[in-house]
Amino acid sequence: MNILTLLIFTPVLFGFIILLLPSSMRASFKYITLLATLVQLGLSIWMYLNFKTGAPFAGISHEEQFQFVQKVPWIHLDLGAAGKMQIEYFVGIDGISITLMVMTCLVMVVAAVASWEIKSNLKGFFALFLLLDMAVVGVFCALDFFLFYTFYELMLLPLYFLIGMWGGARREYAAIKFFLYTLFGSVFMLLVMVGLYLSVKDPATGNHTFNIIQMMNPTNYINGSVFSTLAHSTILGMPARSVGFVVLFIAFAIKVPVVPLHTWLPDAHVEAPTPVSIILAGILLKIGGYGIIRICLGIFPDVALSGAFWIGLLGVISILYGAFNALAQRDLKRLIAYSSVSHMGFVLLGIASNTAEGISGAMMQMVSHGFLSTMLFFLVGVIYNRVHDRDIYHFRGLGSLMPRYTAYVMVAFFASLGLPGFSAFVAEAFSLAGAFKSHSTNGLLPYWMAVCGSVGILLSAAYFLWTLQRMFFGKLSLKGGEIWKIALTDISLRETLTLLPLALIALGLGLMPSLVFDKINDSVLALVQFIGIK
Amino acid sequence: MNPTTLHTDAQTVTLAIIAVVLPFAAFVVNFLVLGKSKASGWVSTLAILGSAVLSLNVFFRVWDSHTIHMQQVWFTIGATKVQIGILLNNLSVLMLVLVSLIALPVHIYSTAYMKDDTGYSRYFRYLSFFCFSMLALVVVDSLITFYAFWELVGFSSYLLIGFWYDRDSAVQANKKAFIMNRIGDIGLLSAIIILFTQFGTFDIDLLFGEHGRVSQSVIFEGFWNAVPLHDYEKGTSLPAIWHYIAFGGILLAVAAKSAQFPLHTWLPDAMEGPTSVSALIHAATMVAAGVFLLGRVYPFFSPEELTILAAVGCFTAFMAATIALTQNDLKRILAYSTISQLGYMVMAMGVGAYSSSLFHLVTHAFFKCLLFLVAGIVIHQIKHIKEDNHLDIDPQDIRHMGGLRKKLPLTFIAAVIAGLALVGFPLTSGFLSKDGILIQAFEWSEGKNILLNIIPIMALLTSWLTAFYVARLIFKVFFGELSLLKTFPSLQIHIGDGHWAYKLPLVFLALCCLFPLFSFNPISYENSWLYHAFALKHEAASNYHLIIPVLVTVVSLLVIYRAYLLYAKREGRIIAETGLLYRISFNEWYIDRFYRRVIVKFVIWLSGAAYWFDRNVIDGFITLLERINLCIAKAAAWCDKYIVDGVLWLAAETVQYIGNFARRFHGGKVQYYLYSMLLAVIAVFIIKLIWA
Repeated sequence: MNILTLLIFTPVLFGFIILLLPSSMRASFKYITLLATLVQLGLSIWMYLNFKTGAPFAGISHEEQFQFVQKVPWIHLDLGAAGKMQIEYFVGIDGISITLMVMTCLVMVVAAVASWEIKSNLKGFFALFLLLDMAVVGVFCALDFFLFYTFYELMLLPLYFLIGMWGGARREYAAIKFFLYTLFGSVFMLLVMVGLYLSVKDPATGNHTFNIIQMMNPTNYINGSVFSTLAHSTILGMPARSVGFVVLFIAFAIKVPVVPLHTWLPDAHVEAPTPVSIILAGILLKIGGYGIIRICLGIFPDVALSGAFWIGLLGVISILYGAFNALAQRDLKRLIAYSSVSHMGFVLLGIASNTAEGISGAMMQMVSHGFLSTMLFFLVGVIYNRVHDRDIYHFRGLGSLMPRYTAYVMVAFFASLGLPGFSAFVAEAFSLAGAFKSHSTNGLLPYWMAVCGSVGILLSAAYFLWTLQRMFFGKLSLKGGEIWKIALTDISLRETLTLLPLALIALGLGLMPSLVFDKINDSVLALVQFIGIK
Repeated sequence: MNPTTLHTDAQTVTLAIIAVVLPFAAFVVNFLVLGKSKASGWVSTLAILGSAVLSLNVFFRVWDSHTIHMQQVWFTIGATKVQIGILLNNLSVLMLVLVSLIALPVHIYSTAYMKDDTGYSRYFRYLSFFCFSMLALVVVDSLITFYAFWELVGFSSYLLIGFWYDRDSAVQANKKAFIMNRIGDIGLLSAIIILFTQFGTFDIDLLFGEHGRVSQSVIFEGFWNAVPLHDYEKGTSLPAIWHYIAFGGILLAVAAKSAQFPLHTWLPDAMEGPTSVSALIHAATMVAAGVFLLGRVYPFFSPEELTILAAVGCFTAFMAATIALTQNDLKRILAYSTISQLGYMVMAMGVGAYSSSLFHLVTHAFFKCLLFLVAGIVIHQIKHIKEDNHLDIDPQDIRHMGGLRKKLPLTFIAAVIAGLALVGFPLTSGFLSKDGILIQAFEWSEGKNILLNIIPIMALLTSWLTAFYVARLIFKVFFGELSLLKTFPSLQIHIGDGHWAYKLPLVFLALCCLFPLFSFNPISYENSWLYHAFALKHEAASNYHLIIPVLVTVVSLLVIYRAYLLYAKREGRIIAETGLLYRISFNEWYIDRFYRRVIVKFVIWLSGAAYWFDRNVIDGFITLLERINLCIAKAAAWCDKYIVDGVLWLAAETVQYIGNFARRFHGGKVQYYLYSMLLAVIAVFIIKLIWA
């Protein structure tokens, strides 16, 4: 059996076990879930170690260069005169997906541990959790657009229920907002997908195909089809390929999220339970970035080049706007949600630069943010579980009451604000370096964008340090008085076991960025070249 | 290069690496093994002792011989290989020795100074971490690693300023220090990125070394052109403005780290940390990193840029000196004095006195560190008086002090030596380095624009101001009678110089403040070994070599005498405390107040506005869409109910009505049939008539 397929569907197997077990055994559900995520992590690490690098394994636009591939016919319908419908179960990974996949599996383990806090309807929670797990891993591996879309939509369902049923006070509002936002993006994505399907023919079989890699090759497009590079057809008076790109970009930009499509994020985060916040920030946002790289850049490289300025501009706006908003927050979780917007702006800026430095920096930022945002949301969950409050001004001087907790908060904050030695520093520095270099190498982005982006680094120091000063330092004073003082115990062993690996990973990636760069470098170079030659 | 030198070079590099890593090892041991044990102090001290010994060894191997540069690939990104390595030249080994030699007495001093603090081991953890970052900063060979350690020293400074994290003022101060340093950091990062784009490398030696790529680049017709790396490549070219922006970034970095105008305001606040930390980090070593950076990238600057450096340095020196005149907090005076002296160093870089600038960096490190250690002892003793007598006073306020000369004789002598060195008195090290700067500043300004002539004159004026505030400090603290006795006559006083761990560092540093360490000729800076190693060219002797030292010394003596009358004898007063000049000086030129009230307020307002915009405009737009959707949905529902469904209903009703109507014709009575027939005939008839 293909290991990638095993990796994708392991959680579902365990999910079935949970569904079959009687509710009286509900205490075991969290262990089963944890086991599932650990198995998955083990598999992904094995794949990481056995992942081959070098130019012949770059992937991107060459189907034969992908690794751990499984390709079997899934839906083959004979439509008579309309030809054959060719949908395949086609999974495989290259440098772009491998690091994100390992990151996803690890974040899932942490999220599983964070699920200890869930007390009601455990069977439903863990079953949905595992379904979600399958969907997100599937998204990173799918190479058939139809399969990709299936996984992509499949994520929404469990997330909607996880927020809507186990969330905070305004959970229904947040869940429906999140659901509608993302659905809005994906509905149009469906149209583009169908358009692409009708435009592309598999040269081997002569059938229309959903194969993403074949969509990247301009010679596979049927002459005169909607998305053909030569046809210059229009949709509502606009070039069809541009419309296709923009529609896909909007769908993924909602996930990233890019200002101004971000307002679902603070609400969803604030209302979501901690494990769901972790998955949202740690993984879901990366699916947006991954989608932009794999789908938008891969299928519409010509439009991506001509639109690079606007993508970069959106990135810079996200960086600054998110940071200013974070500065204004008094709800700790909302602050971190806005900081995510700001940090993901670097991803967009790096991608827009279309330089090896920029795209590598963006990839690194996604991996790094995956771990760091997980850590940050977990840390917020720690105090929220204890006193059910997150208002920055309701706490003061926590440093003397919870010294170990404060130490982890400091690690997470300083790592997030890009202290050298932690992963975010390398990521942000190279996103900016790539963005600056872009003008000299390919003329895509103006010089000032990188300079403006670097102001985001300053602002992130401001909001994180201000929070530290207000909540953790100074004389101890709590809104809840003595009751809170008793409730606010320092972190437990379980929490330490979750936080410590995350902190060590952030440190490890900062000291040895080659852990990521070695795996992605060939793919990034191939991608840069692929986009450039159009 | 032959194999034997290569071998010894490798050895030297290994020694340097061990010297750098030892404090880090101490940090790890303290962190993981020792916990709260008091042994941590000695672990850290031993580590730094080891570093100092090894640094000296490395120093003698490298000094005035050749540059050693070794590196290996850290990671590859795209086609760029990012290297990590060690670059040992005169500048780096000098700093290596300086940092470890200053850190050693400070460590010893700290074991006594922090003895009773609950955070004793935490303190040494941080201190060791700082030493590691600082030592690494001076030897690394690539701009990326340089930036990394540049930030890490800032981070350790953050930890140490906020060491007493339950004090609000301390945590405000460390936040401010880090954020202001971040402004410099983004400047440095931008400069690095620009250099990387232009030259394609982060390697300091390749960029700024002899025949480095930076010195080969030229600004020509509005473009900044780099020479290509390989013959087959085209040289890169950026608009010239990016040269100036890169300079601006470096200037920002220097201004932040070395506390130059306009980013100097964090340093006085940083005095919230333990005094021993102020001595090491905020006087001797870390704050000098900005000047060190200037030294590293010196070939980059164009003449105009150097002039800007000189102006910034000179203005900072002058401004800080005027502020130091009126402050009452012992450490704040010293902090402003540090800013002022750093201004001298930056100015010296600007006027081309490269070697004098580094010379002053070294001498200043010793005497300013000593002054802070003295201040630490004084504050400690006043705190003792305060605690013994349950007073409510600020132990750092020099208005409470006086007459400590008799109680703390050794401290007093150390203070006088350090003070004289700071003033630049003959026979001290400060005389050599400071006069060098002044003389070269005057030589530089010759034949230049009249405005530029202000720079050396202001620098000279500053040296007299320095004499005044130093004298004021020493007279107020050590001469006269203890002021506290006037307010609290029944005071019990048991104070003294203290433990050997206090005395030893003082003696060591005091010896380093005298001339023999630097030059056998006490009056000529050009004879100093340190000056020689960096001197770019040998200048012809000018009249300034005689005039300046005499002028500085004589006028300083007069100023000191005036201060003696004022503060030791307490006769007369020099300026009214309500005067405008006094208020400007006392309120630190209102710069910090301006930042707080205008800039910080503005940023907070902006963030509030952004959030308002987010809530009301962007999310408001979404809500509006939702409302519109709801309205449409309601309209659709209405339409569905009343129009779509209505038509169906109407159709049904109509059919039913017609059915009902027609049913009446089939009543089964013949009369009705007849009537209907008649009606039908009449109706047809009438219609026919109308039609016709």
